[in-house]
Amino acid sequence: MSRTISEQLTIIKQQHRLGVMTHVVMGYPSLHETKQRVLAMAAAGVDSIELQIPFSDPLADGPAITKANQQALAAGVTVQQCLQLAEQLTRAVDIPLQCIGYYNTIHHFGVQQFVQASQAAGIQGFTIPDMPLTEEPYEHFYALAAQANLPVIQLISPATPIERLRLINQHAQAMVYCVSRFGVTGAHTTLPDHLITYLRTVRQYVTLPLAVGFGISTPKHIRALHGLADVAVIGSALLNVSLENLTQQLTNLCAER
Amino acid sequence: MKSSMKKLFFKTQYEPDEHGHFGEFGGQYVPELLIPALEELTQAYEQAKADPSFVATVHEVFKNYVGRPSPLYFAERLTKQLGGAKIFLKNEGLNHTGAHKINHCVGQALLAQRLGKTRLIAETGAGQHGVATATVAAKFGLHCTVHMGAVDVQRQAPNVFWMQQLGAEVRVVHDGSQTLKDAVTSALQDWMTDPIGSYYLLGSALGPHPYPVMVRDFQSIIGIEVAEQFQAYEGQGSVPDYLVACVGGGSNAIGLFNAFLDDKQVKLIGVEAGGRNPNQVGEHATRLGRQPQVGVIEGYKSFFLQDDDGNLQPTHSVSAGLDYPGIGPEHAYLYQQGRAQYVAVTDVQAVQAFRALANTEGIVPALESAHAVAYAIQLAPTLPPKKTIVVNISGRGDKDYFILRELIH
Ligand SMILES: Cc1ncc(COP(=O)(O)O)c(C=O)c1O
Repeated sequence: MSRTISEQLTIIKQQHRLGVMTHVVMGYPSLHETKQRVLAMAAAGVDSIELQIPFSDPLADGPAITKANQQALAAGVTVQQCLQLAEQLTRAVDIPLQCIGYYNTIHHFGVQQFVQASQAAGIQGFTIPDMPLTEEPYEHFYALAAQANLPVIQLISPATPIERLRLINQHAQAMVYCVSRFGVTGAHTTLPDHLITYLRTVRQYVTLPLAVGFGISTPKHIRALHGLADVAVIGSALLNVSLENLTQQLTNLCAER
Repeated sequence: MKSSMKKLFFKTQYEPDEHGHFGEFGGQYVPELLIPALEELTQAYEQAKADPSFVATVHEVFKNYVGRPSPLYFAERLTKQLGGAKIFLKNEGLNHTGAHKINHCVGQALLAQRLGKTRLIAETGAGQHGVATATVAAKFGLHCTVHMGAVDVQRQAPNVFWMQQLGAEVRVVHDGSQTLKDAVTSALQDWMTDPIGSYYLLGSALGPHPYPVMVRDFQSIIGIEVAEQFQAYEGQGSVPDYLVACVGGGSNAIGLFNAFLDDKQVKLIGVEAGGRNPNQVGEHATRLGRQPQVGVIEGYKSFFLQDDDGNLQPTHSVSAGLDYPGIGPEHAYLYQQGRAQYVAVTDVQAVQAFRALANTEGIVPALESAHAVAYAIQLAPTLPPKKTIVVNISGRGDKDYFILRELIH
């Protein structure tokens, strides 16, 4: 049985370190390898993992993750298979596993049904980039997730104005995910220049722990986040690292947290 | 002509709520990164609409640059040949750049200028919207990036060349089905990397709020003109019995319909692409065919062609502009409310209609518009001669010569 996101954040805090969250696209390159990758990540000591449900039109994802989504779908991966895999994995590890994906997957499944199925699979929270808070009055997704005690992680960006940071702070649960740059997911060699001022501003208005993602790929990036954020999210950078090299890479990254 | 003409910005009983929801459809389902940009745009648009100098400039450019009003033409030989209702053609193909797309490009480029943006981003399927965007970018001195699926780049080569001559960068999209839907995603992503300096000039009445409303409003000039021109033919106070337009995303159709939405005696018919086979997945683009399915994709809620897990399905149409799995949210609403009716026409019927119109009237419609013509050809003989049909010729067919030459041989 895995811990909740908040429980894991408490551990990170007690250990006075940065958390590390990683990412997989379920079914890429295969369901079997996804399973092995998640187990390897957990064994390497990461603090949580985003399990992405593949979708045909992943609006917030750059070329690498988009391609992974399309390959998984082309191989016939279904939402049901993803939920089954998630269930096996949440039984096998003790860190929180979160579901990340696009809103149409949930809408099409049935919002209530999806929340229930995710809860039954042991999922600990959701990140859905195209389901902003402002659509909640029409969708009731956040409310249904809250009833199941599952946080919906809010995203904010360098463009988010202060009034909206306040609004998000009021509704956010567990932690807030700060998109580091303008654009889509993808590995970059350097962190954006404005990152420090951006994260300091966010800190002023948001009380929950901050995760930072989009373009984080090296131990140096992780080092730079100390004192600025609570969790570093490493997504695209690990996507095409072979299973053999994954543990070594993660060990190097986690050494800096 | 004395102006009893409707103003360009008017409201109907089918307006969305303040967050852009037409009933359950529409909205702003986008990543947080785009929310401030969309809010800025909504505000700027509201202010511009209320600014008489903005409205006057739109009309001035419509007249002196686009060449408006476009004619409403009585297709006498076609009418005689079919032996039923009178057919009128609203010829948007005579606009500068050859299609209705220029209408919303002019309006949006003026808005981009007002906002101080320096680059226009657009997606295109048939290339008509891309050409129109590249054109207004040149006219207003803005940079321009047009996203286009690799499949469409191939089949609409003349328009790619044209855009490049106008100084636009054409970005070829190799993701997914490499058609319009992938171009939309790619353009939205481009905007996400530069939401402050760039203006996303969306090419149909879809996407997140305020685009469906804004594109509709700039296109509404079509119906406003038709209302007036029709009376010159049929007498003061007369209105057409039927309006027929093809529906890709829905901009030319809503542009024709909007001025008549509140007049229930006018029947509205949208024509979707039946492709090679409207009953087989991947072979058509009839979103409102059998059992339309609600979804949330590319920033808005509407009916989408999707599989059991909510992934977009592949589509096909001989016309690139209709080859898209979603439909603008206001059309979804008009369909649900029963205000408009949606039918499908196959590739073969569209190509036949293309030739029929060329041969009887000397007017070569775009393959998209040929879908509307094809339905009018079916409808007219079933109606008595006193009935009237207005068909929107959303564009001219020059861009399709090469496709047709291949199909016909
Ligand atoms: C001539 C023409 N008609 C119609 C369309 C379809 O778009 P919409 O449904 O937005 O009018 C296009 C799109 O490219 C077009 O070029």
